[in-house]
Amino acid sequence: MRLRSKLAIYLLLTIGVFVVIFLLIAPWLLERVNVYQADLQLIAQREHTIEIILRHGSDALIQEYQSGRPLPVGLFKQEFFQLERIQTDSLWNFIEIESHYIDGEWIDYRMLNYAFQIDEQAYSLKIGTSLEQIFQTESNLRAITLILLVLFIVGLYLINTALSRIITMPLEKITNKLKDCNSPQLYDHTPVKTTTTDFVYLDQSLSDLMRKVDELLAKEREVTANISHELLTPVSVVQSKLENIINDNEISHPIAIKVTESLKTLNRLKVIINSLMLIARVENNQFLKTDSFWIGELLEELIDEVSPIADENAIKIVFQCSDNYFYENANRALIYTLLFNIINNAVKHSGNGVGNKIEIKCAKISDNYSITISDNGPGMTPEQASEIFKRFKRKGTQHGHGLGLAIANSIAEFHNMQIQLDTQLGNGSSFTIVFPKIG
Amino acid sequence: MNVLLVEDEVSLANEISVFLRKEQFLVDLAYTGAIASEKIAINLYDFILLDLGLPDYEGLDLLREAREAGSEAAIIILTARGDVIDKVKGLDLGADDYLAKPFSLHELHARINAVARRKFGLKSNILSFGEFTMDLLQKKVLYQTVTVELTKRQFDLLYYLIINKNRALSRMQLYEHIWGNSLDEEYDSNFIDVHIKNLRKKLSAYAPIDWLETVRGIGYRICID
Repeated sequence: MRLRSKLAIYLLLTIGVFVVIFLLIAPWLLERVNVYQADLQLIAQREHTIEIILRHGSDALIQEYQSGRPLPVGLFKQEFFQLERIQTDSLWNFIEIESHYIDGEWIDYRMLNYAFQIDEQAYSLKIGTSLEQIFQTESNLRAITLILLVLFIVGLYLINTALSRIITMPLEKITNKLKDCNSPQLYDHTPVKTTTTDFVYLDQSLSDLMRKVDELLAKEREVTANISHELLTPVSVVQSKLENIINDNEISHPIAIKVTESLKTLNRLKVIINSLMLIARVENNQFLKTDSFWIGELLEELIDEVSPIADENAIKIVFQCSDNYFYENANRALIYTLLFNIINNAVKHSGNGVGNKIEIKCAKISDNYSITISDNGPGMTPEQASEIFKRFKRKGTQHGHGLGLAIANSIAEFHNMQIQLDTQLGNGSSFTIVFPKIG
Repeated sequence: MNVLLVEDEVSLANEISVFLRKEQFLVDLAYTGAIASEKIAINLYDFILLDLGLPDYEGLDLLREAREAGSEAAIIILTARGDVIDKVKGLDLGADDYLAKPFSLHELHARINAVARRKFGLKSNILSFGEFTMDLLQKKVLYQTVTVELTKRQFDLLYYLIINKNRALSRMQLYEHIWGNSLDEEYDSNFIDVHIKNLRKKLSAYAPIDWLETVRGIGYRICID
């Protein structure tokens, strides 16, 4: 998963946790705060009432408000006011919930009960706010809180995502540089613009690393080229000398034959040297992977190439390409050699009987494309199968230098492909070349 | 035509020049880059065969020099270094062809002819053998006026045998011409035989082709005047 996605998910989770905690606590909190507010208000009203009594006397209040009659304000009987003269020994001051029957209905009030004495007269004061009113306020508060919460979350998420995108942008640029680079030679060394020191360091280090790898590869290339030159030049000299001898029409036929045989042997040496050099170069990453081509087309070319000799040996080639594949960033010539060597191997092992056939199938299974080349030749023992990709391995008296499959193997590794071998003695062999995951 | 052969391996240089002189080329030799540089500056060549593995000079620098000096010579790079990058760079810098050592002298000859035809236009693009004609530009073989259907490989094989007429070519040499530096040497026996058999079948449908001979122990030869 990408860094950015992870950051977004962790942010969402953190917000989620806080939201859950908030939603659990908030209602209780809101209620308590609300009730507290209501109580404070009742107390304020109590003080206000006391003030009025002290200033204007209690008659007005008592006259105006008969016991039990709620204030005309509050069409929905939300407020309760009662002031009575009483005889009492003790005084009280508390707030609790009381129910009163008013105008045909029961209404619950949060009621402040206050007994006090002024000028040797004891009074009982009741001031109340209906629970409905309190709840109404509470649900308003709750709605506002919820809306603010949602806005806050959305805002937080958007801003944070935008910011984290900006901050991680250099990292993405650096990752892209690596993705676009097919070989250390082609690495883009222009520095990525950023003020984050970590990224600057990362960018610089990668750049230096690529340069170093390129240098090392260049040195390796030089060494391989020199070895190639030193080994092949004497071969070249001898070949030319021998060819000139044959070209001289004066020599006898028997001598010409001998010279030709020498040339053949020399050629074998040349082929082995070239094959070993090829493997060395493939393993040293000296080839570029910059070709893109259709596999189906390549296979058709190969089959064309091999058909004459297959026909000659009465081997039928069956080609089934259920899915074609446009292979990108590969080396066409090397892939050609890889497939040719395996098909060639199949032809060699198909024998010379009736009913011999080679099947070439290509198919896409989930994320991987694969080519399967199978023959119905003699097959191999498990020991033979495990050794077959090693250099110079040959079966019995078979022709060839035994490097064909070793070459195929190193080319496959270079392209991050896998070669799977399925074989049974007496039941033929099947080579499957699995391409790297698509996408 | 005159050829400058730049090659530091003396015995190889001698063998190549012996062969080329037999084929009626005028050959100048340069064993070092310094000498080659001089000669290129002084003389006009039709062909420069350039070895890249020179001890005192970067072969590709010589190539650049030659082109910058305005030389219109056809340049063929010869090298045993086998570096793919050399090949790309060489062709980019203006070489006409690239031949990896070791090569057959016949192959060198065929390449020189091909480049000559491309660059200078050989005198004739039609070869005739028996009642057949080979059109090199259209890559067709005709019997009198009828086109003989040949595959590309068969055409190339026939061409190579014809330009080396009266000379026996080994299966190995034929294979190398068609498929380049092979990595599989056991095909030299059977593969070529199969192709020659098919070629014979196709041609003999029109006329007897006993001028295409099998040379015992060596290979094949076309014998015509």
